[in-house]
Amino acid sequence: MWTNPNVVSTRRDALVSMAGGFGWLAAQSLMHNESHAAGSSLAIHHEPKAKAVIQIFCPGGMSQVDTFDYKPELIKRAGTPFDPDGKLEFFASKPGKCRPSFWNFRQHGESGLWMSDLFPKLATCIDDMAFIYSMQSKTALHGPGCFMMNTGFTTPGFPSMGSWVTYGLGCESDNLPAFVVLPDSRGLPPGGIINWGAGFLPAVYQATTIHTQEGQSPIEDLFPPKSFSSIDRHTDQSDLALLQMLNRRHLEQRPGNTELEARIAAYEMAAKLQLSAPDVTNLDRESAETHLLYGLDDPEIGPFGRQCLLARRLVEQGVRFVQIYCGAENTTAEKVRPNWDSHEDLARDHGYWGRILDTGASALLYDLKARGLLDQTLVIGATEFGRQPAGQGGDAAGRDHNAGAFTAWMAGGGVRGGTSYGATDELGFKAVDSPTYCYDLHATALHLLGIDHTKLSYYHNGIQRRLTDVHGAVIKELIS
Amino acid sequence: MNPSKRLPLTCAFFLAAVFNFDPCCLLAEEGAESGQPIDFVKQVAPILEHHCIRCHSVDVSKGDVSFTTSVQMESQSLLVPGDPDSSHLLDVVQSIDGQPPEMPKEGSPLSASEVEVLYRWIKEGADWPVGVELRERSKADGSWWSLQPIATVVPPESSESNPIDRFVFSKLAEHGLRPSRQADRGTLIRRIYFDLIGLPPSPDDVRTFVGATDEHAYESLVDRLLASKDFGQRWARHWLDIAHYADTHGFERDQRRDNAWRYRDYVIRSFNHDKPYDQFIREQIAGDVLSPDDPEAVIATGFLAAGPFDFVGQVETQSSSLRRAARAADLDDMLTQVMTSTIGMTVNCARCHDHKLDPITQSEYYELTAIFAGLKRADRDTSATERKVFDAETSRLKSAMDGVSLKLAKMKASHIDLADVVGGGNGYGTGKKGHGIDVRSGKIQPSFVGDLENIKAGEYSRSQLPLIDGVFVPASGETQISSTGLVAHDLPKHSGKGWDGIRNGPVNSQFSTALGSIDFASPGHSMIGLHANAGITFDLGALRKSAGFADVCLFTTTVGYGGQPPTPSADFWILVDGELQSHAKLGRNDTVSVALEITPDKQFLTLVSTDGGDGYSMDQISYGDPRLADKNPKVIDAATIEQIVALEQELQRLDQEFKSLVQPAVFYGIVAEQPPETKVLVRGNPETPGESVNPGTLRFGGARVQFGPAEMSDSERRIALANWITDPSNPLTARVIVNRLWHWHFGRGIVGTPSDFGFGGERPSHPELLDWLAAELLRSKWSLKHIHRLIVTAKTYQMTSRIDAFQPDADRSQQKDQTQDARSIDVDNRLLWRMNTSRLPAESIRDAVLSITGKLNSQMDGPGYRDFDYEEAYAPIYTYKTADEPELWRRSIYRYIVRTTPQQFLLTLDCPDPANLTPRRSVTTTALQSLALFNNEFMLLQSRYFAERLEREAASQDAQIELAFQLAFGRSVSADEREAAKSLMNQYGLMHLCRVLFNASEFVNVD
Repeated sequence: MWTNPNVVSTRRDALVSMAGGFGWLAAQSLMHNESHAAGSSLAIHHEPKAKAVIQIFCPGGMSQVDTFDYKPELIKRAGTPFDPDGKLEFFASKPGKCRPSFWNFRQHGESGLWMSDLFPKLATCIDDMAFIYSMQSKTALHGPGCFMMNTGFTTPGFPSMGSWVTYGLGCESDNLPAFVVLPDSRGLPPGGIINWGAGFLPAVYQATTIHTQEGQSPIEDLFPPKSFSSIDRHTDQSDLALLQMLNRRHLEQRPGNTELEARIAAYEMAAKLQLSAPDVTNLDRESAETHLLYGLDDPEIGPFGRQCLLARRLVEQGVRFVQIYCGAENTTAEKVRPNWDSHEDLARDHGYWGRILDTGASALLYDLKARGLLDQTLVIGATEFGRQPAGQGGDAAGRDHNAGAFTAWMAGGGVRGGTSYGATDELGFKAVDSPTYCYDLHATALHLLGIDHTKLSYYHNGIQRRLTDVHGAVIKELIS
Repeated sequence: MNPSKRLPLTCAFFLAAVFNFDPCCLLAEEGAESGQPIDFVKQVAPILEHHCIRCHSVDVSKGDVSFTTSVQMESQSLLVPGDPDSSHLLDVVQSIDGQPPEMPKEGSPLSASEVEVLYRWIKEGADWPVGVELRERSKADGSWWSLQPIATVVPPESSESNPIDRFVFSKLAEHGLRPSRQADRGTLIRRIYFDLIGLPPSPDDVRTFVGATDEHAYESLVDRLLASKDFGQRWARHWLDIAHYADTHGFERDQRRDNAWRYRDYVIRSFNHDKPYDQFIREQIAGDVLSPDDPEAVIATGFLAAGPFDFVGQVETQSSSLRRAARAADLDDMLTQVMTSTIGMTVNCARCHDHKLDPITQSEYYELTAIFAGLKRADRDTSATERKVFDAETSRLKSAMDGVSLKLAKMKASHIDLADVVGGGNGYGTGKKGHGIDVRSGKIQPSFVGDLENIKAGEYSRSQLPLIDGVFVPASGETQISSTGLVAHDLPKHSGKGWDGIRNGPVNSQFSTALGSIDFASPGHSMIGLHANAGITFDLGALRKSAGFADVCLFTTTVGYGGQPPTPSADFWILVDGELQSHAKLGRNDTVSVALEITPDKQFLTLVSTDGGDGYSMDQISYGDPRLADKNPKVIDAATIEQIVALEQELQRLDQEFKSLVQPAVFYGIVAEQPPETKVLVRGNPETPGESVNPGTLRFGGARVQFGPAEMSDSERRIALANWITDPSNPLTARVIVNRLWHWHFGRGIVGTPSDFGFGGERPSHPELLDWLAAELLRSKWSLKHIHRLIVTAKTYQMTSRIDAFQPDADRSQQKDQTQDARSIDVDNRLLWRMNTSRLPAESIRDAVLSITGKLNSQMDGPGYRDFDYEEAYAPIYTYKTADEPELWRRSIYRYIVRTTPQQFLLTLDCPDPANLTPRRSVTTTALQSLALFNNEFMLLQSRYFAERLEREAASQDAQIELAFQLAFGRSVSADEREAAKSLMNQYGLMHLCRVLFNASEFVNVD
């Protein structure tokens, strides 16, 4: 519904809008008070099923026909021309011949859903997972595709889902940020940090990046650089004491200025973060079994395992939204592509990344379930688009981009496991049964968090903007 | 009404077949009603358009219901002409059993009289004139406030001299409020410095101003700051926010735009020179065609190209539909930027459908995109003339140098290099290494190719090069080898295939360029790469003439195999006038030295390679050092040596001149071509083009404003739009810019949404003041500095920002009342009973830090500073480093801005994402900001430099502390602050005090 931006509808809005966003921390504490008092957060429209979201994003374009979307017809048509009329134009090539999955498919679990042998461990979780086989994108370009899956728009500048959720629900943790992103250790995904940006929402709602590699400071500027040996905990305390004295005096002379109060609180929060962030990222106290489960000691699998384990720990501590990247920006292929973008050697690249995702994602689902957290934690597996059922290249060893079909999955957090929604055509080229864009996935995720996606909006340059634009419907079939 | 009849609208569709429409029986009943029959267009359509069509139209059709035409409504049994009781429409729009009406879901219910009109209309037969389609009405129409002409307003009568104060104070009085007292001078100078130039005043500046007795001290200060070069460096940042300027493309590959900075400097200069605002806008939209000879006006069009560019989507991808989508998004970005920045209308909302709020139809949106349809973002010369002069000079010098080189070479060298001839040269080194000739056509082939298609063995092609007669793929047996029809005999059978070209150097993928111990690709050597199956015939007559050989010549070369296999697998052939001179089958280890005497009567020298009949793979024949020489070379005498020395000096002089040519200036802007046809894209989808439109602009519910026909040139289109925007009768342009200035000075505009003057935006808090300012801008011939001066010299601007402020003449109790009143009446300070406080923007925090430590590098203009390491890759990698050298201490406006990888420190401090048009920055307060200011290496290093400066400039501890407070806060230290500071200093050192001051609220906030 269109709302007049002049009308301040909530106390949070009032605080955020005052002279352009005064007093985040005042708002922050208000959120806590409200959520503690009323047992619900700010934008809750109905009883939530999920308290937190962990989204695993596989940039580059994961092939649906080699992973989740079983297409026996593709085996029958192997080697026959995919596009006999020669009318189709793919992103980087003309369609080659039909190329069946590089891995065998099997049915798993009680649900009997199919999964390829690329994911032997994840297959054992299949009864907890719900698949959307009929995902589509509006673009077959990586940058815009990633933007769309993360923000609902193919152009940069829009808030990511994590930012929207933070805007809607606020922060639950007292000493950790609400929205955390764990980028791949190799670098940024296509389109860069805009993928988890706050867009036109105030910067309060942007993600905090936590670096997951061992030995790295988990948060930018959490501590002074090592080159400043004259600074330590004691000097920090003295510095802070004088600072807060000056800030309080300054505030006393300017009574009623909420932003000045917020600044004082922000330094207190920063001090808390200095304790909580190293603590939450310290995996030493995790058991040997856990280390093994997440494959932490494996040089290839380990980094992603760390991201997944960290996500669990963050959610345990009350972090609302965690986004994990499984892959970085594309470069021209050398040994292995740094993400799922498998144009010339899918067996090599999906093989490499498949092993990584299989271990980390399955460990996360197991671990969450074992700790009783899966019920309240929505796990989403996403990519920006799928790949073509036709082979690419002379030896058809790769696959080109496909915006017409891909698979996304969800687990936990109120999702009905062992179910599926929608279908692609017999070759996996195009979604034909209940084709759906990211809007429905986003609407469903927000719904599980207790948010009506049509009501979570923010005025920007003439439009009351939403994560789902003017689209989106909750996929009820996948909700328990 | 029977409740059981109340069906949800979605079910109505299934009942359609039950009812039959019989107009005849309806007509019979018509006479029964008294009065005039209902007029659909006048009475019914407005009701449906007002209440229903927003959700129920062809485009939206919620519940599968569309009200666009009567056919649609009838098929859904919403409407049963003549039978109101069966018409489901009436069930849902009125209250039943005390329940609120089911429809409309949004907005107010229909009035009883509106329902009555619908009832009567249906009863009368639901007449719906043919061709009438209902359209959603935008919420605002042509009568919207911002679209009205700028009113002639007289400032309210009062004793105030500045008209702004008269407007603001009289409005305060209307609400029972009074203006707050004037801020003290210390506060005022800090405020005006940061506002106008983005830097803090020096302690001397503060001392002088606070102590000044001149009653116009403040006005003089304002004039000085408006005239300073720092003014443009501060205010350009505001405009670049609106232009979403950056120095990289953004999107997936995010390549660099190393020439974008010229536009940034243009904006700085324009603000410093107080360029009339209408000219500023005209130049940015059409400067290149309005004043093509004025580089400043040409560079201005960098505005149109300032936003992001999807290189992969527009250029790289092979999919035409992806390219169309990326192009449509690009045009939308360009158009939205131009229209929201200049006239504050959100035209982008009409891309997929008519604007829901403002009177802008979808076709107007596409008429506007037609203005920009001929434009592409690209590097461009700032001056076509400069480029022409440069090109002419370049070619003059090059040809002069070529001439001298040839003379020199002939004097010095005794031979012609045939490889150089193959590279398009004169045989003395002017040919291009690596260049080749296409064996199928004789054309020059600058870069490598692979397998050759469409080969015709035996076809002879003339060469474009003057010293070469032609080329051919040999036929087996007899084959033509010259343009005169000479024929070679006995050439063997081969595959008939070819690879790459005949090259000056190795062919594509050649295994080796070494034959025996000599690498013929090394300096001092040359080679012709001739992959099987190919032949080339040189024109001996032309060669002799060019070199001045009169007598017997000597042709020498070392022939060998460039492929890997040692087994001989390719043949070479050398013929003179068709007669075989030398031939062998070669493998990796074979070389043949050839030396032929050629008498003056011979016309053609032919070199051939064939594949040996075992396939052509790797059959790369190298002709090493292929040279034609005079058998009896001239003796170089003393006179010749003198000539050589002179020519060499001449060559050196020309080369100097060539190197001193200044490259024409290039900027990142737009290049234009004749615009293609523009079509409305149905639902905004580039794959569903609709009707064609001609270039035009917004008509705000009035008559169509067309600029011209489809054939209109790009320049005419842009000039027309620039003229329309800057026409003094356009009420938006002046209002929008004075409101922006107000917003930037006060932190909030008279209209709180500076880029949205439509229904979705805010209404003006002081409409009369806004119109007076807009008119004043026109009266001052669009001088922005005039408006700046008016605003900042107003008492309104100079009020204190203290919430507990009081008037000097009021006693304490009144003051309390006033504060209470003000806060209850106007907590947001929309009426301006006090000044707003502000948090310094990210750039000003950084600049202020550098200014206070004395490290600020005041260098203006030119390419931006790069505080990152750059690594070339498919998507380049930008790795930020700590700015700790003078080049990186320039003002933040000169930062090289990377879209995908923002500068984290500034981003944390609310520096906006240049993907967005940012008319209004958001200000947040976060723990990450505290960490950044407290721990970031740049801040700590600067704290150290701050301490060093204090130690240098003040002797005693007390003096150092005093100076520190003066520099950071613009005031003296108080006694207890001094004691606390001293204690920290004594414990840990001065640097720690400096760190604290940079983190203080008093430093980052302006009262």
